[in-house]
Amino acid sequence: MLSLGIESTAHTFSCAVVEKKGRQGKILSDVRKIYRPPEGEGIHPREASRHHAENSSQVLSECLKEAHVTISDLDVISYAAGPGLGPCLRIGAVVARSLSSYYDIPIYPVNHALGHIELGKMLTGAKDPLVLLVSGGHTMILAFLSKKWRVFGETLDITLGQLLDQIGRYSGFASPCGPRIEELALKSTEYVSLPYVVKGNDVSFSGLLSATKRVIPKGIESACFSLQETAFSMIGEATERALSFTGKKELLVVGGVAANRRLSSILSSICARHNCKFFAAPKEYAGDCGSQISWIGLLESSKKPGIDLKDTFVKQSWRLDTVEVLY
Amino acid sequence: MKLVKKGAEADIYVTIWNGLDSILKIRKKKDYRVHSLDMRIRTLRTIREAKMISETKSFGITTPLVYFVDEKKCEIYLQLIKGKLVRDLPLNKIIKICTEIGKIVGTLHKNGIMHGDLTTSNFILSDQGLVILDFGLSQKTDKIDDYAIDLRLFKEVLNSAHAQIVEDAWVFFVLGYRKILGNMLTEKVLSHVSVIEKRGRYANVV
Repeated sequence: MLSLGIESTAHTFSCAVVEKKGRQGKILSDVRKIYRPPEGEGIHPREASRHHAENSSQVLSECLKEAHVTISDLDVISYAAGPGLGPCLRIGAVVARSLSSYYDIPIYPVNHALGHIELGKMLTGAKDPLVLLVSGGHTMILAFLSKKWRVFGETLDITLGQLLDQIGRYSGFASPCGPRIEELALKSTEYVSLPYVVKGNDVSFSGLLSATKRVIPKGIESACFSLQETAFSMIGEATERALSFTGKKELLVVGGVAANRRLSSILSSICARHNCKFFAAPKEYAGDCGSQISWIGLLESSKKPGIDLKDTFVKQSWRLDTVEVLY
Repeated sequence: MKLVKKGAEADIYVTIWNGLDSILKIRKKKDYRVHSLDMRIRTLRTIREAKMISETKSFGITTPLVYFVDEKKCEIYLQLIKGKLVRDLPLNKIIKICTEIGKIVGTLHKNGIMHGDLTTSNFILSDQGLVILDFGLSQKTDKIDDYAIDLRLFKEVLNSAHAQIVEDAWVFFVLGYRKILGNMLTEKVLSHVSVIEKRGRYANVV
């Protein structure tokens, strides 16, 4: 089975061809173009969607070429239908619909967050993990129970990715700002006291955001260091609580912030304490990419037929815990 | 001294304190946290837990007795309670006991305390009735928002860990809660719960 997946929820436009044999998947190609806003600014939905529209045909043809397939070889087409930015989602959906109707290939709308998790599972070999999804759009702790991914903990306001990006933009960095903050944090070991808010298994970052802005004038390196230490300790504690409550023996971290090495080291030390295996999505597939969408398309197609073109939707607000998983 | 549980926050041992069977709760140093942050969190929570456990007794809620607190080592010696965690009870029992849980939570809120970590593993069903544990995240507060956070967390736990019975269990919980707090306050807190839920990422905005 061959599937084309199209991702366009936020700043990334990506197409990927994935092949499925039995339970195993193989990524044949994964091509991405990322919209870069000016330094100190965030994603402008209209500009991002324009970027996606302008680059879509080039990304698609490169992706097919790299995978050595033609469109008519494809068995499944899937697109990220949400959650994400409306204008951006529509571009991916339009490309998917056009291909599906012209070449008569079954089409599947896919939940973006589910893509992060399932591709992470496939690539790392995790069987029944507690999942930590940390990105610009999500900060959630999840486990699978009777047909759905259940939320054990999440952010009560902004996400970890937003926290890092907003501090970065405030300091005039180019988005996404995570890598720059990680780099600056390495240059300091001076911890400034910042608000630490864990409510049960949930976390709240908005107070931390305001407080960090206030300490930036005293030195950006120590501000970045203190920000990372506080935020990651919070998410670490919430994860540890969920691990201890669920008794899961595997932890999988996925999403853009999974690429942060300090976060990984905190999580792996927690896993060591609880005799639990630690998996992190490989760096190149941690962030948004077409492979995630493509892989879900393949999994879905093993259980149900594609949907009618008139029912293909996009949904800006589409919570992962409302999606029924049949495979 | 025997280790019974490695919790998220603390290690729990069974031991003897002055001839009494006792639970020793140690909030151990976490290497992944910066030292000053780690000390701040552990000391604060140890002191707070000891205080709150004793204070809630005055409202008629059953909690373990506090035998001894060492805030330097972040240790608390508590009375050993024999029984079963609510989390591990059969499903139909959990549903029924939710009324009792609702009453306890209602009493806490009525007296201006939020628990902060209302999970089904923080309640023990013993011979003396239902006992509530783990006040490390508790707070004195008179804000409706804080009470609603307590309720939302409990709902989240039901929704995730006990998905098969979430609807019934929640109804029974609210029933008990309402008995203590009365209709007006209960409705106020419940409507705030849905405000918080709407604040969630990608929640369906009505």
